[in-house]
Amino acid sequence: MILFIKLFKESAFFAWGSVVANKLRTLLTLLGITIGIFAIISVFSVVDALEKSIRGSIASLGENVVYIQKWPWEFGSDYPWWRYINRPTPRVSELDEIMRRTQILDAVVFTASTSRTVEFGNRSMERITILTASHDYDKIRSFEIGNGRYFSPTESFNGRNVALIGANIAQNLFNEVDPVGKIIKIFGRNIEVIGVFTQEGDDIFGNSHDDLVLLPVTFVNSFIDVNSDRYNPAILAKGRENFDNDELIDELRGTMRSIRRIKPTADDNFALNQASLLSTQFDNVFSVLKIAGWIIGGFSILVGGFGIANIMFVSVKERTNIIGIQKALGAKNYFILFQFLTEAVLLSLMGGIIGLVMVFGISWLATSILGMNLMLSMKNIMLGINVSVIIGLIAGFVPAWSAARLDPVEAIRTGL
Amino acid sequence: MIEVKELKKSFGELNVLKGINTTFEVGKTNLIIGQSGSGKTVFMKCLVGLLEPDSGGVFFDKNNFTLMNEKQRTKVRKKMGMLFQGSALFDSLTVEENVVFPLEMFNKDMTRKEKLERAHFCLDRVNILDANHLYPAEISGGMKKRVAIARAIANKPDYLFCDEPNSGLDPQTAIVIDRLISEITKEFRITTIINTHDMNSVMEIGDHVIFIYKGNLWWEGSSDEILTTGNKEVEDFVYASELVRKLK
Repeated sequence: MILFIKLFKESAFFAWGSVVANKLRTLLTLLGITIGIFAIISVFSVVDALEKSIRGSIASLGENVVYIQKWPWEFGSDYPWWRYINRPTPRVSELDEIMRRTQILDAVVFTASTSRTVEFGNRSMERITILTASHDYDKIRSFEIGNGRYFSPTESFNGRNVALIGANIAQNLFNEVDPVGKIIKIFGRNIEVIGVFTQEGDDIFGNSHDDLVLLPVTFVNSFIDVNSDRYNPAILAKGRENFDNDELIDELRGTMRSIRRIKPTADDNFALNQASLLSTQFDNVFSVLKIAGWIIGGFSILVGGFGIANIMFVSVKERTNIIGIQKALGAKNYFILFQFLTEAVLLSLMGGIIGLVMVFGISWLATSILGMNLMLSMKNIMLGINVSVIIGLIAGFVPAWSAARLDPVEAIRTGL
Repeated sequence: MIEVKELKKSFGELNVLKGINTTFEVGKTNLIIGQSGSGKTVFMKCLVGLLEPDSGGVFFDKNNFTLMNEKQRTKVRKKMGMLFQGSALFDSLTVEENVVFPLEMFNKDMTRKEKLERAHFCLDRVNILDANHLYPAEISGGMKKRVAIARAIANKPDYLFCDEPNSGLDPQTAIVIDRLISEITKEFRITTIINTHDMNSVMEIGDHVIFIYKGNLWWEGSSDEILTTGNKEVEDFVYASELVRKLK
């Protein structure tokens, strides 16, 4: 084994000498592998970053939360909107019924939203999202309150004119002033700010508490009809920990059908949406993107593989004498085969590693200069290395095989 | 022992070997000499199986190598030691590792210790044991030849083929190497065949010399006989140098 390593070292030195002596040839040879690995791994890194961001956003919707809505979350051009247009919207009154009839719920909340101008003194912000929710909103959506507090049960149930505002609104509307205890004006009504959400940053769906105002639904319902379709009403139900989503959906379907008195043969007139539906939709998108990455990089790697095979054939030709001497001294075919295969793999790996370094450099630039969350993951590094090794093995096999199959008396041919 | 019977080889219209018959005996240094283009290289290639003769045969201990299949030939090749022109050592291996190489390749049953012992024995025999941990780049041309000889005899060969063994060496070192080959040949009872142009080698170690001329075995005999053969072509070759003519 030590002998083999040493002989391999001799091969590697020889190969390195050839690489150094023919820099342009080597560069052109490795370029295919480098570009291929760069293309595949950069696409994968972008997809990973996108996936991470989207999955994080989906997770923020609540993996075990079911959204009872009028419209189902579906994608595609064949969305049968005409089947849903006449459905009733979820109503605040249904919230109490659901809570009463369902045993496996941890929390259930009614939400509706609109956009309005928010005023404070002579300052104002237009088209701010006004989210109105029932009391258990904090049990379903995770957020932190940096300043102030959440609604008390009394404020929620009695519909007091209190509000929680997003960090950006606090910053733009109040500047240096502490918003808590101040009065803002929305819907032409005075509302007291009792808390400010901690800055979250945008997620991929724009779901963030940074730019919204949260009001108790009982308060808003007293002057507008929150059940109206234009306020996008929804009931969010979160199951207990030991119940899975399928059970929760079955239970909610039965409860909703019972509340709405739907005949056994009739279709549901509501949609039960869940975050996992979105995950499934995005899985398909990611698969397509990854296939595209493989196709783009695959062609380049194919060219690179031919380049490596070419350089290996030259290498075998140049070293016929050494191969012959080794064989004349008893080296077996596999010994020669392994030497050349290893060399091909090393060459390919070199190309792959340059590609990975390029991806790393670009990720680093994108992250530090453009502020993108792009990262070269260990999984992608391993993928790049594995692909390089496999290409090296495939491309090097035929030249290595031809070297291994050389006539054992080649040494004498070159020697005499 | 190697016997050559009616060995013929031609390339197209050109008859290079025209029916050679000779015997290379055990424990003797057999030298093949001849002018360039005489056919001695083709003859040597036919002996080791590099070229297939058109007719005739080469017999290694009565076994016809020409008729053997590849498996049988491999067995015979295991008994061959090769001394290549220019030593052909592996630069990345130490002297010791170069000698161990054929043992590693051919002898799976030997332990590492046994292989090292054998390598040390061979190196000791060629008086270079002290250099066992040096690399080829660190030793002289003569020492490299000694290592190559040690490597060639590591597997205890029955037949030793040498191609210009003292090419590139100064006359004194060349004689030392020639003598070493001759001693080893007798000591280990090897059938040694040397392809050479060097008349010094012929005179020093030529137990059996064959002179090939225009594809024929023109003359054979011992080194003592070659000076007085009376054969014009042999004398032209032997006395090619002005100095030797004057000495004669």
